This record gives sequence, C-alpha cells and structure tokens, in this order.
Amino acid sequence: MYKHIPSGGKSRTPYHEFYSDDFTPRPHYQLLWDHIRSTGNNALEVKSHESQLALQAEGVTFTVYGDNEEGIERIWPFDLIPRIITASEWVKIESGLKQRVRALNLFLADLYGEQKIIKDGVIPPELIYQGKDFRREIIGIVPPLGIYTHISGIDIIRDEQGEFLILEDNLRTPSGVSYMIENRVIERRIMPEFFGKYRVRRVEHYPSLLLAALRSLSPRGKENAEIVVLTPGIYNSAYFEHTFLAKEMGVELAEGRDMVTINDIVYLKTTKGLQQVDVIYRRIDDDFLDPLVFRSDSALGITGVINAWRAGNVAIVNAPGSGIADDKAVYPFVPDIIRYYLGQQPILNNVPTYQMTSVKDREYVFDNMERMVVKAVSESGGYGMLMGPSSTPALRKEFMDLVLENPRNYIAQPVVYLSRHVCYMDSELEARHLDLRPFVIYGEDIEVVPGGLTRVALRKGSLVVNSSQGGGSKDTWVLAE
Amino acid sequence: MLSRIADSMYWMARYLERAGETARLMEINLLYLVEAEEDMSEEYRWRPILQITSTEPMYRELFGDTGITTPRVVQFISAGRTNTSCIRTCLRLFRENARVARDRISKEMWEAVNEIWMGFNERLKTSLSAERASSLFVELRNQVARFNGLTASTMMRGEAYAFYELGGCLERADMTSRILDVKYHIILPDLSMVGSALDYYQWAALLKSLSGFEAFRRSYHAGFMPADVAEFVVLNREFPRSIAFSVERMTEALEKIGLQDKEATSVAFNWLSAMVDTTARDIFAQGLHEYLEQLLDKIGQCHAALAGDFFQ
Repeated sequence: MYKHIPSGGKSRTPYHEFYSDDFTPRPHYQLLWDHIRSTGNNALEVKSHESQLALQAEGVTFTVYGDNEEGIERIWPFDLIPRIITASEWVKIESGLKQRVRALNLFLADLYGEQKIIKDGVIPPELIYQGKDFRREIIGIVPPLGIYTHISGIDIIRDEQGEFLILEDNLRTPSGVSYMIENRVIERRIMPEFFGKYRVRRVEHYPSLLLAALRSLSPRGKENAEIVVLTPGIYNSAYFEHTFLAKEMGVELAEGRDMVTINDIVYLKTTKGLQQVDVIYRRIDDDFLDPLVFRSDSALGITGVINAWRAGNVAIVNAPGSGIADDKAVYPFVPDIIRYYLGQQPILNNVPTYQMTSVKDREYVFDNMERMVVKAVSESGGYGMLMGPSSTPALRKEFMDLVLENPRNYIAQPVVYLSRHVCYMDSELEARHLDLRPFVIYGEDIEVVPGGLTRVALRKGSLVVNSSQGGGSKDTWVLAE
Repeated sequence: MLSRIADSMYWMARYLERAGETARLMEINLLYLVEAEEDMSEEYRWRPILQITSTEPMYRELFGDTGITTPRVVQFISAGRTNTSCIRTCLRLFRENARVARDRISKEMWEAVNEIWMGFNERLKTSLSAERASSLFVELRNQVARFNGLTASTMMRGEAYAFYELGGCLERADMTSRILDVKYHIILPDLSMVGSALDYYQWAALLKSLSGFEAFRRSYHAGFMPADVAEFVVLNREFPRSIAFSVERMTEALEKIGLQDKEATSVAFNWLSAMVDTTARDIFAQGLHEYLEQLLDKIGQCHAALAGDFFQ
C-alpha cells in the first residue's frame, strides 16, 4: 500500500488498533470481535442501513461548500464498529491534554501581556508578529478568569509504534463535539448489545459542562448569565452543531444581526425589547467578529463587541486572538512552551516538524518531498495541504514555489501513517486510517470529556480524515477502570 | 350523552395514555442506561419501572424472589399474562372502549385505533430482545402521537371530547406524579452527587421520560437543581406534561360538561386545583414525597367522583 520508508529501524507499518501483530484481536477488542462475528454480515448490513435512516431522521448533517452559496448538505458518515480506548491509555491522554491546554493559555496571556517568552528568547519574535492570528488590537486586555481557550479540540494520532502524538491544536472554533454525541446516540440505538459487555464512560454531559463553564464567565454573575451561541447562519458547515449546542444548553442561537451594542453593552433584539448579553460563545472567526476592529466588510459579526469585551461587559468564547496559539508555525514550539511555563516535560509529544524558515530544514524537506506532508500554517480542514506520497511532480514543484515565496506560511512533517481500525465498508470489514479529537473545556477547572470524535479516512489507503474531504466517523469508547 | 359512552370515552383516553407513557419509560430505560459506567444492577435499573406502573406485586408473585432481569421485565411490561396493566392489555382495552364509542369518534380515529391494535398485538407477545423492544416502543410512541394529532384535528369538541380529555389528562397527571415520586427517591438521597455526571444522567433520564428535557434546559440554566426539576414537572403551566397543565385542561373540560348537582366532582377537582396552586418552596417545606402522595390521593378521589357522578 505504501512505499516502505526506512526510518532508523523503526517499523513503518501503520499501527492497528484492533488487531495485534499476529492478527488476533487485541485483548480489549476480543469481546467486541466475538460479538461482531456472531452477529453476521447480513445483520450488520441491516444495522448499517438503520444507522443511515436514524441519522437522516434526526437531521444529523454537515455542509460541504460547493459552487452555489447553499453548499451541499450531507448525512453525517458513521461507521458501526466502535473504537475503544482503554482506561490506562485515557489517563495519559487526559493528563497530556490538560497540561497542554494549561500551558497554551499561559502562553496566550503572556503574548497579550508582558511577552516574557519572547524576551527570554524561547520564541522568535517574528514568528509571533508575522502570524496573521496575532491580534495587536487586543494587547493588554485580560479576559474573564484570564482564560483564552475555553473550548479546545485537539487532534491526536497514533504513530507506527502506537504512541499517541499531538497532530494539531484547534483553539479557535473547533467543531465536532455534537457528532461525538450523536455517534454515541446512534451507536446505542443501533447496537445496544455492543455495550453490554463493556463499561463505557459517558459523553453526553458535555453540553452541561460547557454551560457551567460559560456561566462562570458572566460579568453579571452566574445567576443572571444570558448566554448566546453566535452562528454565521444556516449555510455554515457546522450549523448543525450550533443548533445542537444551543438546544442542549437551552440558550439562544443568535446571528450577528440579532445583536446590537450600545454604550459598550451587547444586547439581543427580542420581542420584549433589548436584553443584555453576558457571554457569547461565538462560532465565527476573529476576522468576522467585529467590523470596527477586524474585517470591516464583515456582515456576520457584532459591531462594537470588542469594545464591550474590553470594557468587561461581555465574555467572548474563545477569546479573540486565541488563534495565534494554534498557528502551525507555533506548533513546533509547544513542547518548549510547556517546559517554559510549567517546568514539566510534555506528556504527549508532537509529530516531528520541519520549519520552512530554516534553510537546513527546508532543503531536507525539498529533497524528501514525496514522504512529507506540507501544510499552510493558517489553513484548516485539510485545505492548502500537500500529501507527499500521493502527489505529482508538478504539484510538488508548485508547493516548493509557494514555500519559497513565503516560508513563514508553511511547515512540513514526515508522513505519519495514522493508525488503522476495522471499519464496516460495503458489506466487508476493512482497515481504514483514523485519528481522534477529544474536547477540552477550561472554565473554573479543566475538564476533558472521556471520549472524542474519531474521524476515519473512508477512502482505502487515504490519510485524510476531514469530513469536508470524504472522512467518516466512529463512536469512541473510553473504558472505565 | 349516555353514561356508558362517557365512561368509554374516558377510559379509551386513559388506556392509550398509559400505553404510550409506559412505552416511553421503557424506551428510555432500555437505551439511556446501557452505558454502565457505575455498577448498576438490573434490579436497580428496573425496579423503579415496576414501581411506577404499580406492577411490582404482580411481578413478584410471578417470579418469586428469583430476581429482576431485563428480558423478564420487557416481556412482563409488554404483554405479561398476569400483568393487568401491561401495554398489550392497555391497547386491547383502548380498542374495546373505542368500539363502544364508535359513533362518537371520527372515521380517521377509528381506523387508527385498528391500525395500532393490529400492528402491535402479536409483536408485543413475542419474546423481544432488548434492542427490538426499544424500537417497538419508539414505534408505539409515534403511533400514539399520530393518534393524538388525528384526534385534535378530526374530533368534534363536544361533550364526548371533554370526557376524552378528562381521561387522558387524569392518567397523565397520575403517571407524572408516580414517575417523579419514584425517580426522585432514587436520585436524591445522596446530596454529594448533586452536580456530578451520574446526577446529570439520572435527571436527564427522568426529564426525557416526560419528553421535557430540552424544554427544561431552556427554562432553567443552573443545571439540574432538584427543586427546579420538581417545580417544572409539577407546576409549570406551559409544560404539556406537567401536573398543573393537566389539571387546567381538566377544569376546562369540566366547564364544557357542566357541574350542576355534581357536588362530589366539584369538590374533588377544587381540591386538586388548590394543590397545584402553590410554590416549589411550599412543596419542599412539606416534603416532596408527602406532597406527591397526597396529590395521587386527590387524583384518585377525582376519578371516584367522576365515576359516581357521571358513569353510573
């Protein structure tokens, strides 16, 4: 399937989550495997069909941006076979995520404050100042509780040895948590018998944890917190999630045009007049948040909201300016950031990363382009990316030119062969690559819901799991001790 | 109208409501509690259902002390021979009463009655796996909802309809009180659990059994405070499954029917109305369990008064 790439004697065969090397199921999958076999292929086919109908009936969809402005609404792709994470694996993931999110928040507070980390020479200043998500406009503002990223969705992969590595920090408006919950709801409905033999930890209380965190940020106190989810509207790819979260938390789902700022206070326009807003969980990017401060052509945001935020009259979640911490050019420095602020070694490691600003790194990458992934630092969702192994010489040339034009804008990583798992594809059980996005909530405490969104690359051999690029998903089980 | 017809309209609604609500309870219990993070015995999971449906003595008589298991409870609640309020029996009596009152209900309703009976009679009797059972219960709940919609849109709003309303609302108020009483008992004793994840799932299951989860989240933002849940379920007049809502609709139905010389009914329903004209604080001062017991007693008295004044 892949060219064998020698690499210091380490195995380059993708790790298989389900089977051990001799093709017997790993111990924690044995019961599930027995059950799948006794269920039989016909029954699985029926179940697979039922899960489609259920997703359709519940309207669980996502939108792929297409040629027309409406986009194409698709049913969320769901695979029947759950992915299992053992209790001890989870302990490591959870502590690693908490450590990382804590450090990244200290980093953001520092960047928009004293900038000690730059003065101490840990991070080159140009890396920060050239980042398009470093927002000078908000320097000196301290957000409620001093926290920037109240919701983080951190992508984790397993390398060929089965080690969990951090692939990406998503700290702006990470999405996918509603699908994590819907996957569980569907799995339980279609395959309740799967659960019988395991003790699976629950994930559906995520919205209540989120609500508690949002309430804790209210300038007028928890008791009077008026909270809104700010959505760009029904054509946004994650609109399903926006409605899901608003509904589960019982708060208003609003668009920018539903709000107005008067004397640095944000109000909702309601049938009973203006109503003060305390916390805005925004699902739009910084660029569009406030035409007075950021992009002046934005019609999605709320004029004056940044001034209201600066005045301490409203909390914005995640805080404006958070994007610089998940800039892919900052990513290689995160282990140093953890050491710098916490004095600890990172619990979860990064994927090795080459910086295109370094001549040595760049030459090495150019020489080995077909085994590299090259990523534009400010893109997400699998856009603006070169997958070396499946690229053409022409495309590689094109990317080299792009890199030379603006080295700050690119990083490269050796292709990591994401771990594989059994999936039910067209009446057969086949192996597909996958990753994991757990969600971290930072309010008065840091909490990680035991689970996450497992994304699957549905095309055989593909390493791209993004739903906008043909990815699917699985229910993710974290086992209790 | 004939007393006998009034009686049938009343019971037709009661049995349908009971069947639908029992199916909903079963569905939630089968599905919502399958992830057993905490060790939850089958007994712990299912005994409340037997208590809510008042069928525990019948169950114990049948199975002795050999324990409460999921397949047994599913079978017993669906179509247990010795269970006089199993879902199948409710549906059979629903249809029998509809036959008696055939000329008072619309053609569309009558066809739906038959569809429901034919669609579920045999299937409820077969021994069902937990997953088959849960999809059957979902289907039944949908059929009940469809029937309610047909009734609302095709039935004349005369005296017959008023008795139908009385039956449906009385049953609903009765069921809601039992659900709250039993579930509250299970959830509450451990105050240290308030705010924990387990706590969340227990309250959510309670509210979902009453189709009130999302509505509750919209009305209360402080999480699941026991007093809020009780207030919502008992006193909220906008929540269609609250006790106060049912009582209000029964009062309206009685106005339609007229209460001249119906001393017992007037008195009983005045008491019932007075009971929901209160605050959560007062309910808790008295004790929720004591309050709900008293409420159930009053509901029973209302039923007895109706039977004495109208159905004999």
